Amino acid sequence: MEWFSWLHYDFMKYAFLAILIITPLFGLMGTMVVNRKMAFFSDALGHSALTGIAVGVVLGVSNTNVSMAVFAVIFALLLNQISSRVAASTDTVISVFSSFSIAIGLAILSKGGNFSRYSSILVGDILSITPEEIWYLAVIFAITLFFWTLCFNKLLAVSLNRTLARSCHIPAAWMENLFAVLTALIVMVSIKWVGILIINALLILPAAASRNMSANMREYHFFSIVFSVFSGILGLVISYYVNVATGPAIVILASMIYFITYWWGRRYNI
Amino acid sequence: MKNHKYLFVFCMLLAIAMAGGIFTRIYVSLEEKQEKNEKLHVVTSFYPVYIAALNVAGESPNVELENLSEPQTGCMHDYQLTPQDLILLSGADLFLVNGGGIENFLTEVSESYPELAVCQASEGVELLEDNAHVWMDTTLYAQMVKNIAEAFCTADPAGAEVYQANAEHYCRQIQNLTDQLENLKAAAAGTSVVIFHEAYAYLAKELGMETAYCLDLDEERQVSAGEIADMMGEISKNHVSLVFAEELYGKDMGDTVEAETKARVCYLNTLVRGDYEAGSYLTAVQQNIDLLEQALEK
Repeated sequence: MEWFSWLHYDFMKYAFLAILIITPLFGLMGTMVVNRKMAFFSDALGHSALTGIAVGVVLGVSNTNVSMAVFAVIFALLLNQISSRVAASTDTVISVFSSFSIAIGLAILSKGGNFSRYSSILVGDILSITPEEIWYLAVIFAITLFFWTLCFNKLLAVSLNRTLARSCHIPAAWMENLFAVLTALIVMVSIKWVGILIINALLILPAAASRNMSANMREYHFFSIVFSVFSGILGLVISYYVNVATGPAIVILASMIYFITYWWGRRYNI
Repeated sequence: MKNHKYLFVFCMLLAIAMAGGIFTRIYVSLEEKQEKNEKLHVVTSFYPVYIAALNVAGESPNVELENLSEPQTGCMHDYQLTPQDLILLSGADLFLVNGGGIENFLTEVSESYPELAVCQASEGVELLEDNAHVWMDTTLYAQMVKNIAEAFCTADPAGAEVYQANAEHYCRQIQNLTDQLENLKAAAAGTSVVIFHEAYAYLAKELGMETAYCLDLDEERQVSAGEIADMMGEISKNHVSLVFAEELYGKDMGDTVEAETKARVCYLNTLVRGDYEAGSYLTAVQQNIDLLEQALEK
């Protein structure tokens, strides 16, 4: 068995590139998602991909990537708006929206009994990565880095204390919306090969594991990105040789990291 | 303390990488095939094609036959190619598929491997509209076997005689089944039938039966209440007395039908899954015929 034979295949090269670009982003965004207790929010976002595809199919859009992204952005903004206005707690509102959008998606896609055609999006299909998709990823990567360097401090301030942040003239609503939109875009460009069922784990696990270890923001980011990239690459290679879907392989590795760091955190980091 | 932490993270990642590597290594060495040799490497897409090819290849030591999907995968309508499948195909000399649109990943395959010889076994066979479950009709299945034999001969001219002889022998066995079905025709022809799987349309056609309604209960299919009502309506309207269903996916629906209407449900094999025995197509069809005989006698 050769350890690098997987690089002979074009689809594996694309997958490798995609993982190199997307996993640092997951690590980066994950830190804030975990900080702001938005795990459920990003989960709902992932589920909305189904609806995005369904809407695209109904409207006859040839590239469902576009309808998916547009729908996810609208969905994210709407969730943000409504959850800050209603009396019920946020998770209730998110749950209502999430189930509603899944129901619409399932209803449309299962029409005529053809849902199985879309079932690959539930577990992800690594062969769906094309060179074109890698360009999307690269663009998102650049935008995210730009946003992060410019706005991270403000975003952090908002997430620590909204009122305090506003008293310092930080546009809190803007920051929150921008962050939600970015999360939506990142989730959408990678959902086809990671799969709806587990995309959230990729966003949450590295950051959660990193939180167990880190003492300050810098370490928090550093570990999160390291864990994310590590599990991404190793997961890809293992999934190639063992013949399982790539998304789950990555998530299993990330979970292992989480459990080990949890133990460490309980022991030394409290 | 801080150095400790980085060391710990490093060790943890190293340990996980090693554990993953060792696990993968063991897995791969268990899976690893014998060295590639001069054999004719044939890959089939799914079960019925595999069984047909198995019979054509016979005992021939020059053929290495492999199936893309697992024997229990069933119909390939929505099959997703895995990386492992592409690797398997990269080493193949001949790729045998059913054709007729069942393998919808074919374009993907021919894009990746433009040089791979692909043979559509149902080529030249008269298909029903939007329905390529040809193997359910024994006469057409025999044609498929002949097509497959042709493909074998083109790929390996040296063994042509053996393949043709095997195919003829197998076709004679199939002919025996065709004759039995022909006998059933007297009792069955002209009556209406409701089917719970597209595949039975071929069987109904071979028996000269009229398909009143097709409710496709497939692997991942959910039916709506309206469809069930439609189907029940057709049963009473056309005085359907017989329903063909698959035990695995149609049992619940079959029980409902038997409780609500006068129709009897006959659970037949769709032959899309089974074990890798050369004779398993023949035995499965034989069982179907026995069941049909019982059902038609009543």
